[in-house]
Amino acid sequence: MERRTNVGIILVAPFALFAVGVSLGQPRELDEYAVLRASQERFRAVAAKLRPSLVRIETVGGAQPAAPAPREERKPPDPDDEGPPPPPRLQNPFRDDPGSGFVVADGPTTGLVYSADGYIVTSSFNFVREPELISVTLADGRRVAADLVARDQVRKIALLKIDASGLTIPEWRAADAVQVGQSAIALGLGFGGSDPSITVGIVSALNRMRGNAIQTDAKLNPANYGGPVCDIEGRVIGICVPMAQRAGELAGVELYDAGVGFAVPKHRLDAIVKTLRTGTSVYRGWLGFVIDPRSPDAVVIRNIAEPSPAQAAGLRPGDKITGADGQPIRHFGQLVQAIYMIPAGEQVVLQIERDGVEFSAPATLARSSELGPLPALSEPFDPAAPPPPPPDEQEEP
Amino acid sequence: MRWATIARYPLIASLIAPVAALGGGFDRAIDAVVPRVVKLYGLSVGSQAGYGTGVLVSSDGLVLTVLSLLIDARRVRAVTSDGTVYEAEVVRRDPSRQLALLRLKPPDHGGEAAGSRDAVGPFPYFDLKCGADATREESLRPGDWVIAAGNPFKVAEGAEPVSIAHGVFSARTELDARRQVKEFPYRGDVLVIDAVTSNPGAPGSAVVDLEGRFVGMIGREVVSNLTHTHFNYAVPRDVLCEFFNEATGAMPRAASAAIASPSEAAVDPGIRLTRTGYRNIPPLVDRVRRGSPAELAGVRKDDLILSLNGKSVANAEEYDEQLRSIPRDRPLDLVVRRGRSIVAIHIEPEKR
Repeated sequence: MERRTNVGIILVAPFALFAVGVSLGQPRELDEYAVLRASQERFRAVAAKLRPSLVRIETVGGAQPAAPAPREERKPPDPDDEGPPPPPRLQNPFRDDPGSGFVVADGPTTGLVYSADGYIVTSSFNFVREPELISVTLADGRRVAADLVARDQVRKIALLKIDASGLTIPEWRAADAVQVGQSAIALGLGFGGSDPSITVGIVSALNRMRGNAIQTDAKLNPANYGGPVCDIEGRVIGICVPMAQRAGELAGVELYDAGVGFAVPKHRLDAIVKTLRTGTSVYRGWLGFVIDPRSPDAVVIRNIAEPSPAQAAGLRPGDKITGADGQPIRHFGQLVQAIYMIPAGEQVVLQIERDGVEFSAPATLARSSELGPLPALSEPFDPAAPPPPPPDEQEEP
Repeated sequence: MRWATIARYPLIASLIAPVAALGGGFDRAIDAVVPRVVKLYGLSVGSQAGYGTGVLVSSDGLVLTVLSLLIDARRVRAVTSDGTVYEAEVVRRDPSRQLALLRLKPPDHGGEAAGSRDAVGPFPYFDLKCGADATREESLRPGDWVIAAGNPFKVAEGAEPVSIAHGVFSARTELDARRQVKEFPYRGDVLVIDAVTSNPGAPGSAVVDLEGRFVGMIGREVVSNLTHTHFNYAVPRDVLCEFFNEATGAMPRAASAAIASPSEAAVDPGIRLTRTGYRNIPPLVDRVRRGSPAELAGVRKDDLILSLNGKSVANAEEYDEQLRSIPRDRPLDLVVRRGRSIVAIHIEPEKR
């Protein structure tokens, strides 16, 4: 494409000089109206070009993913409410998903053909309900059952397989050819109908979310999660996914339609799909300790699950975490930011301060289901201490 | 030279274009829409804005807008694009579609002419094309540019032109639980647009395409309760037509002032049903408002509603829908399942 552009400039250059001569004589207007007319046709052409590679995904069954948000539970009771307040919910500090209170709807969602022989990529957001049946409707109207091969809960990508061949693979734009400021057109089938929904914006930033995503201000939401973000030529820049600087399967939905959206680019997607294709899902990584709420100005370990990566790494209650993978850690939020994109099975090197001595402790993160229980604490809880932070902050990824 | 080509050769575009590029591409749309919207000022209640926007839909001053508290003011003022101030009276309210029709009148100066039915206008207006043949706006396709003209945050004052926001039309769809929209009775189709229009004062804005053709009106502000994002949408022209036809066909225009009656507001017994993202959820009572007619009649949390005024109720949507068709001053007869028993409950309307 670059080469063609250069040739074009050379060929047209004399004409351009002529045009300048003309325009100096008699100023001509750039017809903005014609530009807009052409651009809306362009948006539709992009949708039409991608349509053969877009699939509608429908699911049957499954439950809502998480309990209502702890924050909501702490709201003062509605005076209009009748009856006693609900009993406090027991919180498992190592729930795999803190839940945002977001209710996942059961409408259709979007996917994109990844390979001609039936692999479909989409957003793992679309399966947080653990549906019993997944159906995929191809652009030609064929509706087939799909298997969920595996999913990456950290990068929010899911891989489906359908029994099909000769599917149309979309043209991709390499991530290193994507530039901040270029047009970004997001397509989805989640609003129903056969025509994709179109939202238009630009590429806002590259290499977000630890290099896992491109950022766009095109409106992304559950109707186009799993669908493509394309350039003006209809080449796919990335797959729309909800992401945020926190962990959890629903992380990022709070940003939908907010002008901050994320898409996983091709090179990241290829690496993710390589893993998923073997049937191996990628899970959020946990260290397995809770922090001491009485030390808000430092990350001090209060209790460690047995077994857990923290235990295996030799951490003890009272240890202060001062760094992770070379980044300084002063409060809990920084620790979350340092490790929220590291999946289970991968390593983080923690910097620990114990009795005035600093040392590093490599820890291999684990899945929440691999964590043991928290042992009972010997020291009684000090009622004069400040109240513990809400469970979603207290828990440790 | 086609635009796509220009974009490919930015150098050339910059050589040709710099000279006098000053006509905006949205000019014809803006020229069409600005004189056809009015700024509305009325009652401000709590956090609800006391201002808004309306669309002129007849030469004699009928104005479409959304149902809101602002039009409940004793005096609603409408300011046309030339800065003239009119009184606006409510011709009709439609709680189910969340729409209202107003009529412009000469300003009330407290003198002999006060409240007179003097003719005003003619005004520039959008012809809704509500004839039997024109049902849906098929000309608008996803990806088309649209602009919304209105007065968000009442930044336009007096004769100042209203504010213009632009975006593309994304899709026509139903407002549903996917959006986490709660306590919003309108369940018809909407035009999803990616312009930022869900702001105080913007409801009632006219939405037009690049050619200046009227395609819809910005609906009531909808904010997701859970994600706190705003949903940007317009009520499609054909839905506005349904309301407009009802409003103007139901009564002669001269007598239209008599139509606004409080009984048109739907009944609200004070029952809140369980809400999830699912369609077809059973109509299970989640909350009963304290002191409400339902509480006084003995409705309890966890009652499963079986029928309403003799009609069976299969799910929460049906309950909402049936309730919307019942005027506020009518009693309700519910049959509910409570545990293993079936209970009939008679709810007297709220005394007003």
